[in-house]
Amino acid sequence: MTDEELMLAVCEGDQSAYQTLVRQHLKPISHYAYRILGNQRDTEDISQEVFLRMWTNAAKWRPEKAKLSTWLHRITYNLCVDHLRKHGNTQLKEDLDDAGASEPQADSQSHGIDEQQQSKALDRAIANLPESQRSALMLCHYGGFSNKEAADIMNISVKALESNISRARRSLRTQLAEIGKLRGEAGYSA
Amino acid sequence: MTLHKLTDILESHGCDSSRWPEGDRQPCLNLIATDSQASALYDQYAALEKQLDHLQAPDFSGLEQRVLQQELPERTLKLSDRLVNWLLPSAGNNNYWRPALAACLPLVMGIMVGNYSSFGSTVSDDGFQYWEDELLMLSFNEYTETDPRP
Repeated sequence: MTDEELMLAVCEGDQSAYQTLVRQHLKPISHYAYRILGNQRDTEDISQEVFLRMWTNAAKWRPEKAKLSTWLHRITYNLCVDHLRKHGNTQLKEDLDDAGASEPQADSQSHGIDEQQQSKALDRAIANLPESQRSALMLCHYGGFSNKEAADIMNISVKALESNISRARRSLRTQLAEIGKLRGEAGYSA
Repeated sequence: MTLHKLTDILESHGCDSSRWPEGDRQPCLNLIATDSQASALYDQYAALEKQLDHLQAPDFSGLEQRVLQQELPERTLKLSDRLVNWLLPSAGNNNYWRPALAACLPLVMGIMVGNYSSFGSTVSDDGFQYWEDELLMLSFNEYTETDPRP
């Protein structure tokens, strides 16, 4: 069954259609929310709310205007932005600080920065990006959305989206270059 | 194609050349192939994308059950919403007769009202009276038959 048919069934109160849609779309939605919010608890709450809204507002989705995944990502983005406005980025930074505190110091001195630490550094670099840049990067890189679709999700112009994603990539490249220097890799130079 | 323009494209569209603007694709690829600085720049952004690909999100193992088992509110659509949903279905190609029917309804109503209601007008269809009047009017006309013969 297509998304359209499933949503039509959801409009008529079919819970099995709802379950099918949850199974199809939950993973990308929760990963996107996680990349914006940065912590598991809030991500789970937001993901649950996204699918509740899909159930209650199913009749408002217009397939000729947007794909279902675009519509769901837009709901997710709006909920995440609201959440961050209410609670700020504090939880995200707390989580990352906790992760950083558990890293063994001696290890980095003796073996240099390993892959896991590099991932954590990149995680931290992404978390430090402004929310709009983070969202733009996540939608285009992980979500596979075109710049136009990502701009629609974030309700901004394509030019603004491209500006956001350019800044995000530039910032991450610079930070990875610093890590590369620490590791002595030849591939990076800012 | 310049290095500056290539940087803009890599930053705004990524390293996957299929996402680059069509007109710039081949010039970009040519520059990367011929210019060592451009090639190094491309490698840096490709390395960034590879790093991003390796980033992992948590498993969210219990989340699916939690979302599936959440209590969904009863559908209490207003009558007007139900009517709109029925008339303008959001999906499905077999339901176009509904808006067509809705568009025809005023016409059908007009014909029915026109056929069965006189709106207080009492026109008596009395053929006899009509012909009486007609004959009366004819009597006022002058019918002079002239003989065409000399």
